[in-house]
Amino acid sequence: MARRSILERDEETKIDLAPMIDCVFILLIFFIVTTVFVEEQGLQVSKPDAAAASPEEKNNVAIDINAAGKILYQGKEIALADVTNVVKANLDDPETPVVIRASEKSSHGTFIGVWDAAKRGGAQALSFSTVN
Amino acid sequence: MSRRTLVSEEDESTSIDLAPMIDCVFILLIFFIVTTVFVEEPGVEIDKPDATVDAQLEKNSIIIAVTADNKVIYGGKELGVAGVGARVRQLLSKDDLPVIIQADAKAEHGVFSAVWSEVKNSGAKKISVSTRND
Repeated sequence: MARRSILERDEETKIDLAPMIDCVFILLIFFIVTTVFVEEQGLQVSKPDAAAASPEEKNNVAIDINAAGKILYQGKEIALADVTNVVKANLDDPETPVVIRASEKSSHGTFIGVWDAAKRGGAQALSFSTVN
Repeated sequence: MSRRTLVSEEDESTSIDLAPMIDCVFILLIFFIVTTVFVEEPGVEIDKPDATVDAQLEKNSIIIAVTADNKVIYGGKELGVAGVGARVRQLLSKDDLPVIIQADAKAEHGVFSAVWSEVKNSGAKKISVSTRND
């Protein structure tokens, strides 16, 4: 019975939440400070699979980028804006391989521009190779 | 005077109810714990090339930067093309993460290509190129 009365007395007391709130706030501040919202946009690029490479298929579309950053199709210079149309016109079906042969010295920006344009032209089997 | 004593004396015994605030703080805490990813950012300025057909990339990935003067950087330190393979292999052994190559539009294609090959050879499953869309 004596025990019971202790319990009854306990009903009056409360847990002190202050230390827990301190801890929680410290955790909260830590996570707020360390959080970075990485917003990355991008493309997936690929090189032709060496094992599966067939010897220069006849119907593939090859676009060259020379060291000066000029875009060539079948030896003729074309503008970046025309790449989409060239790809669209020469694509028999979406699975036709399209290869971008970029010079080592050309800029990455040009290469991505051509890649993007070819993709817009409907190329699905897109790959790149580097020439020097 | 009578008012003063009445209010202040009554207030001394009351305490603020902290429970709703704790609820809010916990919700915020859980939100930040869940959204936090610890990504090593290159910490260099990269002028990304433009693209229109790009997609959202995964937040938690290995980011390798190639600057306009053809330096290869990971986590604020310069690696060099030859160091990329070993580093990526070491990182992938812990966790199978996708790799993002952040190359500057003015970087040489040859350097980008070399980095790409190194990453590919070190066993990365998904390799993306970071672009800008505006």
